[in-house]
Amino acid sequence: MNKWSGRAFAVFAGLALAITLGVSMAQPATGQVPYERIVAADSEPESWLTYSGNYASHRFSRLDQINAGNVADLRVVWAYQMDEGLIETTPIVADGVMYVTEPPSAVTALDARTGKRLWKWTPQMGSDVLHIGFPEVNRGVAILDSTLYVGTLDAHLVALDARSGAVRWDVEVADNAIGFALTLAPLALDGKIIVGVSGAEAGVRGFIDAYDPETGELVWRTYTIPAPGEFGSDTWGGNSWETGGGSTWLTGSYDPELDLLYWPIGNPAPDWNGDLRPGDNLYTDCLLALDPDTGEIVWWFQFTPHDTHDWDANQIQVLVDAEWEGEPRKLVVTANRNAFYYVLDRETGEFLHGTEYSKQTWAEGLDENGRPIVIPGTDPTEEGNLVWPSLQGAANWFSPSYSPMTRLFYQPTRIMGAIYYKAEVEYEPGQPFMGGGEQALRGEEASGAVKALDVLTGELVWEFPLQSPPWAGVMATAGNLVFGGSDEGNIFALNAETGEPLWNFQAGAAVRSGPMSYEIDGQQRIVNSAGGTMFVFGLPEDGRGPG
Amino acid sequence: MRIAPTPWLSLVVPILPLLCPSAAAQEPADAAPELEDAERAERLYRAHCARCHGVQGLGGEGPELAQLALPRAADQAQLEDIVRSGISGTGMPGTSSTVLDDDAVSLVAGYVLWLGAQTTADASTVTGDANRGHDLFWAEGDCASCHIVAGQGTAVGPELTIIGLRRGADYLREALSAPAARLPVARSGARSGFFEYLPVRIVTHGGDIYNGMRMNEDAFTIQLMTVSGTFVSLRKGEIAEMEKRVGHSLMPVAQDLDEEDVEDLVAYLTTLGRGS
Repeated sequence: MNKWSGRAFAVFAGLALAITLGVSMAQPATGQVPYERIVAADSEPESWLTYSGNYASHRFSRLDQINAGNVADLRVVWAYQMDEGLIETTPIVADGVMYVTEPPSAVTALDARTGKRLWKWTPQMGSDVLHIGFPEVNRGVAILDSTLYVGTLDAHLVALDARSGAVRWDVEVADNAIGFALTLAPLALDGKIIVGVSGAEAGVRGFIDAYDPETGELVWRTYTIPAPGEFGSDTWGGNSWETGGGSTWLTGSYDPELDLLYWPIGNPAPDWNGDLRPGDNLYTDCLLALDPDTGEIVWWFQFTPHDTHDWDANQIQVLVDAEWEGEPRKLVVTANRNAFYYVLDRETGEFLHGTEYSKQTWAEGLDENGRPIVIPGTDPTEEGNLVWPSLQGAANWFSPSYSPMTRLFYQPTRIMGAIYYKAEVEYEPGQPFMGGGEQALRGEEASGAVKALDVLTGELVWEFPLQSPPWAGVMATAGNLVFGGSDEGNIFALNAETGEPLWNFQAGAAVRSGPMSYEIDGQQRIVNSAGGTMFVFGLPEDGRGPG
Repeated sequence: MRIAPTPWLSLVVPILPLLCPSAAAQEPADAAPELEDAERAERLYRAHCARCHGVQGLGGEGPELAQLALPRAADQAQLEDIVRSGISGTGMPGTSSTVLDDDAVSLVAGYVLWLGAQTTADASTVTGDANRGHDLFWAEGDCASCHIVAGQGTAVGPELTIIGLRRGADYLREALSAPAARLPVARSGARSGFFEYLPVRIVTHGGDIYNGMRMNEDAFTIQLMTVSGTFVSLRKGEIAEMEKRVGHSLMPVAQDLDEEDVEDLVAYLTTLGRGS
């Protein structure tokens, strides 16, 4: 090949084939998403190339065809009926094709124009797959070049050919028989696929993995619980580190300029009996900043030291560049499950600011280092102890959104307390290892809201009340809108500046996924799911319909 | 062995009425099922079920289990099937035999049924004359003008066909003498945990006034049924004022009933659903 490079030859061959078959070359070949496209995701808002829309995890769409002036006309363009189960997936859309996961771990490719299925891949899993402490869900795929990556409930990571669904490789990430599972959407970086695991309620020792996208070979593994002799091992009494939990079950964020990976870490195990694991229990309930080449921990910040309420930090970490006290600063912000909102310097991990954003009764506040000032007597007890928030937290896995236009951080918020109980528990492999329980307040005693917070101060700017604590994410758009969902089946749009409700579709079942947006044929689409159905909405001017 | 009340069961009683009005905290009834290996059953329930259904079975992320008539399981065998296989399309997972073997499934299901048994009547506390209660209900009291029993009556308040399975004698006494103190709470389905028959008063921007019981509600709409049986559907954007009258009931307080009347009605209601 001295005359033609391989790539140029491929382009030539493709062009020749296209001419032969009469195919328009206006659209690139399906499923060609190199790393550079994901880095520049904000410049192609017609696509949705990674779980949270961009590496900064803004879940913000720059499309504005659907806006505060016309959103009231939004209607269903097509719908897709999924396999039975809870839908928590966020679709990926690239080059005219939508890639979704169906419960528990299937992957389906759909025509993004019509919703017609192109292919479907279903993993072969036994009937005895363990998932201790969580339902059989999956939150989506990652795409890199022409390959999709999906984590399965039986703790495999599988690479699929994006055009056909054929398996490229399949690796076992960890042993499902002792409680490991994968429910998160993997994160595709430059030459690496990053995944985390579920399983803290079974007493696993959590970790974050990086795999070679081509071969499936493990590149590095970073444990979230230090072994004896490692930094932080003195925060675990006795042998408690061996079963310390620290799952990594929600997709992290990435800063390409700093080349730092941000990954939130789950709760310590057992959840509610802290006596069995004296100490701060690093790195549970932490945010870790990692070197994506080596997995080395660059810095860490712990939100809830020695957690006894299952307030893991598996919430979306949102990267924001802003002026802080007169200086430009790279920040990471998050609304934590423990009901506090945090602003950290994402180069150093320095705590800059924190404030309560939802009802809580366990801490007087945060000290100058961001450590909570815990109110004595708020731990679980054998008799039961009423504390806000409940174990499901003020926030959970469902996505917040950040709008660079309004500079607001939109957080679906659970306002709910629970009576926490502590119990004795002994570790047995593949069995629940929680050490207690809760009895949540509910009905009229609990509620929810979409809260718009000032991204730098966490102060409430507006809130839209919901009947029940939500399990659904939100997405802000350049159309001055915030889309969301409710447990009562509402898929809705609010004015991003004021919170005024502008549109509501009653979908007939609870919403448990995060909305996303894409564009096809020059028409913006809004996607959200409820019950067993994924709905795709558009404006009526379209006229193309589902044909 | 018969299960002994555990510390949590007795110590949380003072808060329970505030948290969940339907939770009648009672000593185990004489007729309650006895549990084999009660300590292990409780431990298994707490480990596998309590995360979603609550330590006391009063619900949370999942529905309330502490009720005698479970909507999806008529008997222990069906309940065991659900524990093994889960409920498709919901958050209720199945389980592997390596996590819960047949013996453990049986213990868990038995514990759930035992929780339900704790919520209903202790027959020994019912002292009234059920026959006289029947006559009071259907004739002098005219209770059927608002309640349906076995297909007869009018649906303004709750259907009472199996109320003897669902409610204990103390609850029924209180419902007759102070109905607002214990509004029914939905025990399953999408409205699980919310008050049923909650009186709501609404004034629209147009000046219309509606008084009714809430049938359903979300962030954008509310549905009412008036006492006269008129269905009303309103968008919240139309509403100028809305008062949810928590602590009120549309059921008349039985002022004309003396203590003996109440006991006789309780005795009759306790028989409903029990086939006697």
